[in-house]
Amino acid sequence: KTKSILKNPFLKVEDRRCNYRPFYLQLPSFPVVSYSNPKPCSPFDVEKKNVNGQKQIQMRQRTPANNDKESFPAQLPAKNKKRKGYCECCMKKYDDLQTHLESEQHQNFAQGSHYQVVDDIISQFPCDFVDLRENTPKTKRRKCSV
Amino acid sequence: MEAAHEDELHLHCEDPHKKYEPNKKLTGASTDIEKLYQAVPQLGSMFKIKGKIGEGTFSSVYLAIAQLRGGREEKVALKHLVPTSHPLRIAAELQCLIVAGGQDNVMGVKYCIRKNDHVVIIMPYLEHESFLDILNSLSFEEVKGYMFNLIKALRRIHHFGIVHRDIKPSNFLYNRQRKEYALVDFGLAQGTPDTKIDLLKVAQSEAQKGSFAYKPHLTLGSQVSVISTAPRQLVHQSASKTGTKRPSSFSQTQIKQGHKRKEGSEWHSVQRSVFGERNFNVRSSTLQDGSTVKLIKHSRVTDIASRKLSAKKKTAVNNGLAKKAASTCPANLTCDCYAKDRVCSICLSRRQQVAPRAGTPGFRAPEVLTKCPIQTTAIDIWAAGIIFLSLLSGRYPFYKASDDLTALAQIMTIRGSKETIQAAKTFGKSVLCSKEIPAQDLRKLCERLRGKSINSDISTGDIQQVINPSREHMLPAEISNSSEFVSQTPQQYIQYQKKSCHEGDGMNVRISEKAADLKGWDSVPDEAYDLLDRLLDLNPASRITAKDALLHPFFKNMKP
Repeated sequence: KTKSILKNPFLKVEDRRCNYRPFYLQLPSFPVVSYSNPKPCSPFDVEKKNVNGQKQIQMRQRTPANNDKESFPAQLPAKNKKRKGYCECCMKKYDDLQTHLESEQHQNFAQGSHYQVVDDIISQFPCDFVDLRENTPKTKRRKCSV
Repeated sequence: MEAAHEDELHLHCEDPHKKYEPNKKLTGASTDIEKLYQAVPQLGSMFKIKGKIGEGTFSSVYLAIAQLRGGREEKVALKHLVPTSHPLRIAAELQCLIVAGGQDNVMGVKYCIRKNDHVVIIMPYLEHESFLDILNSLSFEEVKGYMFNLIKALRRIHHFGIVHRDIKPSNFLYNRQRKEYALVDFGLAQGTPDTKIDLLKVAQSEAQKGSFAYKPHLTLGSQVSVISTAPRQLVHQSASKTGTKRPSSFSQTQIKQGHKRKEGSEWHSVQRSVFGERNFNVRSSTLQDGSTVKLIKHSRVTDIASRKLSAKKKTAVNNGLAKKAASTCPANLTCDCYAKDRVCSICLSRRQQVAPRAGTPGFRAPEVLTKCPIQTTAIDIWAAGIIFLSLLSGRYPFYKASDDLTALAQIMTIRGSKETIQAAKTFGKSVLCSKEIPAQDLRKLCERLRGKSINSDISTGDIQQVINPSREHMLPAEISNSSEFVSQTPQQYIQYQKKSCHEGDGMNVRISEKAADLKGWDSVPDEAYDLLDRLLDLNPASRITAKDALLHPFFKNMKP
């Protein structure tokens, strides 16, 4: 069967022109304002009730994507130690921030001329900090491009 | 999931655990400080870095003492941007600070130092309170002052066509004693179509021309980050290869949302999708006729993505149902799931819409949560409304959701499902909700959450709540969910009791809160809730602007 009926309670959002994939959420229960949560807790704070992790599994937002599950376990362990992310300079994802920053590609970018737009702004700053006489913008920029 | 979001920038972090604690944090922070001195040696001759006061995905903030020429010392905040930030983004952030900052409660900038990819922005340091710590001890007048000054800052940045995108208490520094305020962090800022911040414009056109390697990646955690700037013809071309022409729409931006859930949010928070999405939003109309040769770089990427999608579509087409749909309506993959409680392989095979959503979950406006591609300064106003809601209800964070649709469900619980659905229509979204939830009266909601009964008489208020907690659950909002509360109540009840019994100083806390209550909380004017209602207008088009909000009767005695 290619159709599936959403299980109550649910929330479904789609663009009115039907050009895009709808996205939806099926949840075990609809949120309720809890007045008995002690201040200053969120009235939607339900952490304590879902100790068994049920919430994590069921309350996930369904925005179907094909490689959902495959990538899931692989990402978890590294979370604490390494910093994953995306480098806007290299247009590239990395698994470990430090390693990426030291990579040849990133270093080339870092030492290249792309930062002129930043330096142009910096050169307009007046500076009343002590050291500036010795570090005129010129000197500083020369340093940077080395 | 939440953890990933918490990872987002907390400038001058309010989380007590992340606060600057010289002794406890010394080891971790001092290596960071050492590293920073090494990365940017010039810092060493100008600043004594005292400690880290905030850390996020996109920057770390340090407290430092600056040596001034006359020998005087001054506290400054050093914001070290993550070295993966694109120079244009960095420049845009600086320009926001320079042009809009330094006035009307918007943080300014003193200086900036760069060494290669390491950029450090030097700002005045404003000692500030932790929102959570003071939330329930603020007088009503203080709350009014806080909101007035927050909205003043918003008026300032909105005047310059800056959408901040991450309005929340930790980005609005508040010095209670001195009544000083500062809106900080333009790291996620976006320009309006008529923005006065040149670099927010330059970034757009440059990115569009493809003349620098800054790809507007629209990746909410996608493997292939697919791009906005492809000429529409290309999209059609590649789509038609499989005989399924893509319907034209005002947005050509598509993306495949690769990772999801936990890592999805991690990625998206790391990837700061906004910078690219800005192009998408603002330029969508020009984009359609303005395809240039230089776009080829982008289109290659798009093509890969389209192919990937096409491949996916083929699978969908393989089943008879989809085949039929595809052949009867080649221009558009239609199905009859629209506005119904179902989905099928046809609608699920469509591309996902992409819209900016960077920011912090509990502060996202409905149009952000529903992926409305056109987002305006009104999203900041909504976020200010959420802060006001926290202040009036004594709850922070007010919304607590691990994903966008849960957040939307929580909003519906407060503002009503019919109202939310109605408003979403105005920005092109169909929202279907399995349950009808009435809108709450904001005054009643806030007073109950704040615990109004405690105001008049501490003991009576407490006893009432402790003795008869079930009474709390018999109010309209919850009646419909009676089956749920039956299972929840005992635990909550026990927890509540534990809390009241075990905290020895519970009474003291209440007494000090009572003192605050006397400061205006017993007579909150209707104007407050009217303003809240206008800030939390579900329709971004009619939502009050910062300019108008300052003229709202709630602020009648204050000078704008």
